[in-house]
Amino acid sequence: MLQFVEQFIKRVFQDLFKRKRHVKIGLYGPPNGGKTTLANRICMDWIGEEMGKASPIEHETREVQIKEQINIKSGRRELSFNLIDTPGIATKIDYEMFMKKGLSNKEAKKRAKEATKGVIDAIKWLDEVDVVIVVLDATKDPYSQVNITIIGNLAARNIPVLLIGNKVDLRKADIKKVQAAFPQYDVIGISAKQGTNIDHLYEALFVVTK
Amino acid sequence: MPHQCVRCSTFYKDGATEIISGCPCGAKLFFFVKEEKLKQAEDVARKMSENLDEKDKLRMEQDIYQIMGYEEEDDTPVVLDIESIRVLQPGKFEIDLSHLFNTDKPLVYKLEDGKYIIDLPQTFMRSKEGKEEKDGKK
Repeated sequence: MLQFVEQFIKRVFQDLFKRKRHVKIGLYGPPNGGKTTLANRICMDWIGEEMGKASPIEHETREVQIKEQINIKSGRRELSFNLIDTPGIATKIDYEMFMKKGLSNKEAKKRAKEATKGVIDAIKWLDEVDVVIVVLDATKDPYSQVNITIIGNLAARNIPVLLIGNKVDLRKADIKKVQAAFPQYDVIGISAKQGTNIDHLYEALFVVTK
Repeated sequence: MPHQCVRCSTFYKDGATEIISGCPCGAKLFFFVKEEKLKQAEDVARKMSENLDEKDKLRMEQDIYQIMGYEEEDDTPVVLDIESIRVLQPGKFEIDLSHLFNTDKPLVYKLEDGKYIIDLPQTFMRSKEGKEEKDGKK
């Protein structure tokens, strides 16, 4: 009888810990892949407020942004995490690119400097995260140096990865091409802007954070 | 290992007093150049001095200080690893991601009292060790 009670208590506690976990999830990827749009979608869905400003001009996020205590639920399962939105990772940052989008020479140079610092900060933050959601733009060629370097380094550090092909609402999106580029991962095609397939992402989060 | 002044592009041999006290041009920021890449760095420096004026060079120096989070007023010379970040002209940056991701390689060398202090890698190592300790406790 005592043994039965002991097993019962143990099972209840194990169940409790299984259901509620707290992790740090980082959003990583090249600029303009939709990291902040996805962060905003997750935050709006679960805490009813946005995380940051998304923009069509690259390198809008130039500082690491953190939203704490996001709780997502699916059936009896519950996952509690801090969401870390990071600046886009790039190998070249050129102020002329920003001037073409309408920024003044001074603003463009300032943005380039801050974006470069953002890349360094994003990489430093890798030491702090438990799980990474890599957000790629499914309308672009996935075989880029940035994508391969990020994903290769995450694998080398044994950080669990959830690979997202974003912008599937756009006609140019090719999720099969993203999947073919990174066959070791199950790529989830979503539209962070429209909310397409976002439930699939939440389900996958429970699996990858196990 | 040679060092190059970021402002005036002069090259100095390892251990030169200018690296410790600052370049005669007034700058205290240096790129660290590997012997095998010295020729390449000299070519880049020549092109830069042809195309950039003093204002541009000063701006690049200020940008680097801000990117690395150093106070410009600090009298301590700072030596940067040229392989991590390259400033082509103000507002144009090339970043070596593989080098940045590799936590075993130092990003910035900071010089103090004639000795090298490896700055960022210590941060990396500390956080790495902290993570390993944390993982070990799990």
